[in-house]
Amino acid sequence: MPSEHETEVIRIDHLKKSFDSAEILKDINLTISANEVVSIIGSSGSGKSTLLRCINLLEEPSGGDIFYKGQSILAPGFDERRYRGKVGMVFQQFNLFNNLTVLENCVIAQMQVLHRSRQEAEAKSLKVLEQIGLKDYAKAHPQQISGGQKQRVAIARALSMDPEVMLFDEPTSALDPEMVDEVLSSMRLLADSGMTMAVVTHEMAFARDVSSRVCFMDQGRILENGTPETVFNHPQHERTREFLSRYLKSVQAK
Amino acid sequence: MKQLNPKRKKRSLAWLVCSALALLLLIWGSPLLSQTTAVAAEASSSQTVTGTSSGLTETEGILRVGMEVNYAPFNWSQTDDANGAVPVANSEGEYANGYDVQIAKKIADKLGLELEIVKTEWDGLPPAVMSGKIDAIIAGMSPTAERKEKMDFTDSYYTSDLVVVTLKSSPYAAATTLEALSGARITAQLNTFHYTVIDQIPGVVKETAMDTFPSMISAVLAGKIDGYVSEKPGAMAAVSSNPELVWTKFAEGAGFETSSEDTSIAVGLAKGSQLVEPINQILSQIPEEERQSLMQEMVDLNVGKETQSFWQEVGSLIQEYALMFLRGAGNTMLIAIVSTCLGFLLGLLVAVIRTIPIKRKKHKVGFVLHKLLCFLLSVYVEVFRGTPMMVQAMLIYYGSKLFFSIDMSSMSAAFLIVSINTGAYLAEVVRGGINSIDPGQTEAATALGMSHWGTMVRVVLPQAIKNILPAVGNEFVVNIKDTSVLNVISVTELYFISKSVAGSTYQIFQSYFITSVIYFVLTFTVTRILLLIERNMNGRTFVLQSTSVPQPVQVPKA
Repeated sequence: MPSEHETEVIRIDHLKKSFDSAEILKDINLTISANEVVSIIGSSGSGKSTLLRCINLLEEPSGGDIFYKGQSILAPGFDERRYRGKVGMVFQQFNLFNNLTVLENCVIAQMQVLHRSRQEAEAKSLKVLEQIGLKDYAKAHPQQISGGQKQRVAIARALSMDPEVMLFDEPTSALDPEMVDEVLSSMRLLADSGMTMAVVTHEMAFARDVSSRVCFMDQGRILENGTPETVFNHPQHERTREFLSRYLKSVQAK
Repeated sequence: MKQLNPKRKKRSLAWLVCSALALLLLIWGSPLLSQTTAVAAEASSSQTVTGTSSGLTETEGILRVGMEVNYAPFNWSQTDDANGAVPVANSEGEYANGYDVQIAKKIADKLGLELEIVKTEWDGLPPAVMSGKIDAIIAGMSPTAERKEKMDFTDSYYTSDLVVVTLKSSPYAAATTLEALSGARITAQLNTFHYTVIDQIPGVVKETAMDTFPSMISAVLAGKIDGYVSEKPGAMAAVSSNPELVWTKFAEGAGFETSSEDTSIAVGLAKGSQLVEPINQILSQIPEEERQSLMQEMVDLNVGKETQSFWQEVGSLIQEYALMFLRGAGNTMLIAIVSTCLGFLLGLLVAVIRTIPIKRKKHKVGFVLHKLLCFLLSVYVEVFRGTPMMVQAMLIYYGSKLFFSIDMSSMSAAFLIVSINTGAYLAEVVRGGINSIDPGQTEAATALGMSHWGTMVRVVLPQAIKNILPAVGNEFVVNIKDTSVLNVISVTELYFISKSVAGSTYQIFQSYFITSVIYFVLTFTVTRILLLIERNMNGRTFVLQSTSVPQPVQVPKA
């Protein structure tokens, strides 16, 4: 894994987010540098997904700021659409476009956002689908493939945009256990290729083995932020130990 | 990234304004368009727009006369110009004849004007003349005090007694006094003084007023009522076409007490019309004997043929009126197709605009504008869904002429009214369709950087439209049937044609039988076609073509 202090891609600065009266994110500070794989772990409701969704502005932050390569993404006049094209997102529920084929799912945003020609976009999509092992399914519709395949198509769709960062929001949580591995191995390949990634996950083995950094979130705050070795073996907070002991048990049981 | 920054806000604002304008254009555009064309047409033939100052009529040289063309023997419909019939201006291939038509011809002749007959529903006649859509009503209309408040009338051009039409076999058939009708179930035409005189019959059972003479005749024939009040000529015609009927011959002084303004009929004109004097002059030159003989002539012309079986009568109706029925059906389908398509587009536009997400913080002006636009759109949807199309038609067609001097043709008014009505219904249907699509897909599109418009067009709407297709088809079928209310603005659609045929031949069941068959064929064909389209959209199979996986897997869509 490359060392930490390289080019900063995303910097989150005192980020706050409230829904009505409920404060979901309290004071988040986090920097993601190029080629880093940051896993965000924590119990449900700790704000992990909200943090991820704030990064590509699916949620509007209530306070603080987020910088992409030094530029505030909340500044007036910032080109959100172009920015989102640079930040790929993979959802828990896949969210494929059901009316379009696998290939079209990958092509459409390339043409609309990056203004690539159809030919160019199809070539790119087929290349990515081949890497991810789904080239044969290019003409299939989402209803005709399995959950694991759907999630890999979703990854291919995001990768077709040549993103600088990939955000994964619990990508394996909605999958049957036997399909989890095919998705995780695709993500592992991606990490190995040097993609900058932020992954919200409950897969502790993935967090421990693949990520360069692990953040533990609890009640809207980042409690731990360090290498997998530090966070998993020498956590600073009692809350982290409590959380991990429960999860590590289940990992060891496997 | 920098060079791309500042445009976004402007673009979304511009888009918003554009869509707002487009919508307004859609709503108000077509009357404006037809206004300009109307003005252009009038200008090109070097005529004045408002005739009263330089000419006597709305359009110089033409006397537009409104009548139902289904009230024999005053006015009826036929398919050729035999016996001095006049073509109906707003219904190709249809000719009007009858006492009113002959009087109208004499008047136009003496005024040196070209006569144009405009077929108009009874209730549409007063607004039509008040708004200037027609110059005169010559439709067997009596100058009652109520009508005189709104319109001017000439002197009478015919005076007749009131009688009651009943079945030959009825116990009331031989009545010679009002007392003899005691206990009878009697009705009369809606909005006529005929209906008020019913109260003079002691112990009468006053039934709900009916719309047309054909429907009253069928009610009598079906035994739903015992009789209806009619002027003598109408009664004579009804009896000669339906041998089962008779009209009561009241003894001198034992009939209905009427004022002369009720039993006389006169030409109805707009308030302050300069036509009153010249027409009175002309009418004074037609003596009573000439009037009576003309009426007799018209009644005789209208006498029914020898009795035939039901199917023979249907057959001869089809033979005689096939073209008119087809034209009516054609108009009905044209209005239904065009308006359903336009309404669907309008509904899509409204629903898409209402779902635009605008961030309050980032685009303050856009946010407020959007809120305002959404408010206006929901007003549009609620108003047009909440009022009957017939009322909208009356308001828009006559109102636009009366208050804004916009002279729409009845066809373009029909397209406009049915379209915006359909649009209001379908806006809600489309909104439901959009909401039925899992928001995750929109979120994924947003996360990829796609615009709201791009997401809608490529992802959400294709799925939403597929889901709502049955509802749109339903609306289409409803439109085919609902165009029947447009006869109030003189649109010669299928139902209006049927009314004319029924009113002219007095073969009510036969005419409406033909009509119902045509309606059914239209709607049934349309539903079958829509079903085919739906099935086509759902048939989707995928065969894995691969070198790595040997056996092809076929997975039909659930």
